[in-house]
Amino acid sequence: MQEQKLTLEAREIRVEFGGIRALNGVDLTLPNGAILGLIGPNGAGKTTMVNVMSGFQKPSTGEVRVDGVVVSGFTPQQTARSGIARSFQSARVFRDLTVEQNLTVAGLGIGLSKKAATEQARDILDWIGYRQGNDRRCNSLPYSDERRVSIARALATRPSFALLDEPASGMNERECEQLMEVIVNIPRRFRCGVMLIEHNMQVIMGVCERIHVLDGGRTLAEGLPEEIKKNPDVLRAYLGDKGTRHHAAG
Amino acid sequence: MKRILQDYGPLLILVVPLIVAVALLDQFGSSILNRNATEALIRLVFAVGLYIFVGNSGLMSFGHMAFAAIAAYAAAWQTCCAMLKPITMSGLPDILRENTFPLLPAAMTSVALAGIVALLSGLILMRLSGLGASISTLALLFILNVVYSNWESVTMGTSTIVGLPIYVTLWVALGCAVLVMTVAYVFQRSSWGLMLRATREDEVAAASVGISLYWMRLAAFTLSGMVAGLGGVLMAHFMGTVSITSFFLNLTFLVLAMLVVGGMRSLAGAVVGVAVISLIINVFRTAEAGISLGPIQFALPAGTQELILAALMLLILIFRKDGIMAGREIEWPRRRSTAVASSAAKTMELDNRA
Amino acid sequence: MMNFVQVMIDALALGSLYALVALAIGLVFGVMRLVNFAQADYITLGAYSLVVPTASITPPLLFGALSPALMILAVIGMVTMLALMTERIAFRPLRRSDPATLLISSFAVSYFLQSLLTLVHGGRPKAVNIGGALTQPVEFAGIRIPGVQLLTLTVAMTLLVALVLFLKKTPIGIQLRAAAEDFQMARLLGVPANRVIAIAFAISGILAGTISLLFVIQTGLLSIGMGITPVVYAFFATVIGGMGSLGGAVLGGMVVGVASALLQTYLPADLRAFRDAGVFGLVILILLVRPQGLIVTGAAKERV
Repeated sequence: MQEQKLTLEAREIRVEFGGIRALNGVDLTLPNGAILGLIGPNGAGKTTMVNVMSGFQKPSTGEVRVDGVVVSGFTPQQTARSGIARSFQSARVFRDLTVEQNLTVAGLGIGLSKKAATEQARDILDWIGYRQGNDRRCNSLPYSDERRVSIARALATRPSFALLDEPASGMNERECEQLMEVIVNIPRRFRCGVMLIEHNMQVIMGVCERIHVLDGGRTLAEGLPEEIKKNPDVLRAYLGDKGTRHHAAG
Repeated sequence: MKRILQDYGPLLILVVPLIVAVALLDQFGSSILNRNATEALIRLVFAVGLYIFVGNSGLMSFGHMAFAAIAAYAAAWQTCCAMLKPITMSGLPDILRENTFPLLPAAMTSVALAGIVALLSGLILMRLSGLGASISTLALLFILNVVYSNWESVTMGTSTIVGLPIYVTLWVALGCAVLVMTVAYVFQRSSWGLMLRATREDEVAAASVGISLYWMRLAAFTLSGMVAGLGGVLMAHFMGTVSITSFFLNLTFLVLAMLVVGGMRSLAGAVVGVAVISLIINVFRTAEAGISLGPIQFALPAGTQELILAALMLLILIFRKDGIMAGREIEWPRRRSTAVASSAAKTMELDNRA
Repeated sequence: MMNFVQVMIDALALGSLYALVALAIGLVFGVMRLVNFAQADYITLGAYSLVVPTASITPPLLFGALSPALMILAVIGMVTMLALMTERIAFRPLRRSDPATLLISSFAVSYFLQSLLTLVHGGRPKAVNIGGALTQPVEFAGIRIPGVQLLTLTVAMTLLVALVLFLKKTPIGIQLRAAAEDFQMARLLGVPANRVIAIAFAISGILAGTISLLFVIQTGLLSIGMGITPVVYAFFATVIGGMGSLGGAVLGGMVVGVASALLQTYLPADLRAFRDAGVFGLVILILLVRPQGLIVTGAAKERV
């Protein structure tokens, strides 16, 4: 459990909900140490993809592997202990627990002793720059602090792969900059890879080394940020046809 | 020393006043008052027992009186009615029917039996979703009620078993209350307690950090079943009688009311709830027996007490949903300056290191 | 063979009765996430409204003294009003609470109503003779069936069919069904919350009133806890059937009722008293094998 894993691979992932194909054959690779962006219009299947990779959704077909070991049949708990952590779109902090306890409990969840989990919690909170009091209960946190705590909590599971689901939503510019600073430092500090779902293009372009674009449950494009920015299919998916012509002209 | 006060403050602030109160009652209280106080302490054991599961897991259980009944009957089988057992409870295995056992071991085995049943039923019930598990605990209560009411050769059916040795005094009840409160407090501060409370807050997020709902809930359920068993043993050796009808919906509701009124999410809530409800019960007991206001004598009709309790519960649910203590313990006051000073010191340390 | 038919009719009668109660529970659960323990007391109160409040165990009749049509109307009307009142006073303020709070509050309401009844009528069971003539067996294709079984079966089936038609064909019924299976979605589509919830409660009241009459005809007894057993069975029925599915509630009720009747007949005599325990155990068993119940709807699952 303690050794970091090298690669997270999703192959041929299909997910169907009562007739609707949320994902239709997606292949995705996340190497340890990399920062990968996952973008796409609303309904493209991004959160479903995260759910599949973190054990919350069983794919109808396809597999998720960590260093060759199939994990797509695991429960969310087993997946967490295999080194895959995730944060949620709606933060989902443990409201009645303190900030520190939110992280401690994550350490306990992967099997650390209480002492180790508590120490780790304090370290991470310090590293992420949270200074407003570790003993604060999470039911009275400002929105951006909730998000920071939820990211920190995911990192407290010592992941090899951290999947962050729209961490920047609702943040102002300064908060986004702080967030980007944090994300960029995650791979080195935690020896893990990061997959970032975001709508905020400034954040995506600012931190991601590669970008994977989904649209309508399929992979639309994958590559370096500069390539994706200029990819006409991507532009069309986001802006519609008018926007593409506009962009190409100006 | 300061650490102990800070860490165990919330427990001590509940326990110490209780000890003091009992000491005073022992010196100055009338025998009726002391009886009522002992009853209240037994209720406290029940409330804390239910709290260990409900408060930490966020799941409701309606089945705890089943565990109390199991332990109470086990105590009766071991300690009561040496003369009559072969006749009235002929279905008991020989070892129980022909022997009487010393009180402490009997109590311990009874509690252990309750714990085993809680564990076994928990193995099954905790597989179910939150609401399903809660409703199934009701099934548990009903199953036990049906079985014990009809298994006459072993339980005397719905007849009352009379003649258990009465040894639960004020101090015995207090000792047990303090014991279970300590167990509850230690549990909620332990790793398991913390993880369980995370599942209470958000099942999905808890799963995402590797916490297993099943094992956590099972542990709490078993522990809390044992405490309920202890309550049953205490009740049996306080009243000297055991009857299945007293471990059914009425008592279930009463214990639930105590947690609702005081607040289900903290130990202090359980204590406060018991205190308030016991006060009401005793006020109404006196009123229903008859009060004389000058020349007028009047008595409230029987059943008023339950009505008022139910109404109180509803009012609390509507207007103060989290109960009187609102899920908070009584914390030892932390001086704010210390917290600020220590974080400032830390920052300076980091700057120096850099 | 004749005996078997008789047993089957018993089983079906009981099954459809439980299906009705389960439907009442399921409707209210669907629109409010509330498991209404007080349903038991709606039934009990309906039964007690037949007699004058006294401490006597053979009380004079109140509604019971009216002509059959009026009596039925009076009892059902009163229980429906009671159900609506409890919704308005106790449950509406709690509407946005979590299921655990709602569960406890319905317990409290139930307890309140029980204490009220005890206060007014006294705690001892009473004997009441309403429609006692109906307990006489009826000859039917060579089989003798107690008239009241036939009545129960007919009434229950009729009500079930009527309800199904209501839920499927009438506009308000469709709205109710939509709300019961996915309340949030229904609200987004413009279904009026207050009205739909009130109707769910009203239906549960009508069903309770009917059941109380059938019970009194069948047993001739009034007791404070008389509604508890059928309602507890009904809870378990909805749990087996899949909470959040109306069809599941009916199916669960049938399963529970039939199982109970069959156990009653085929268990050896000395085990018969444990029949209830058997049924409850069966419930837990089904839940183990299929924890989400027999019929799952999307509403029951939480979105990640």
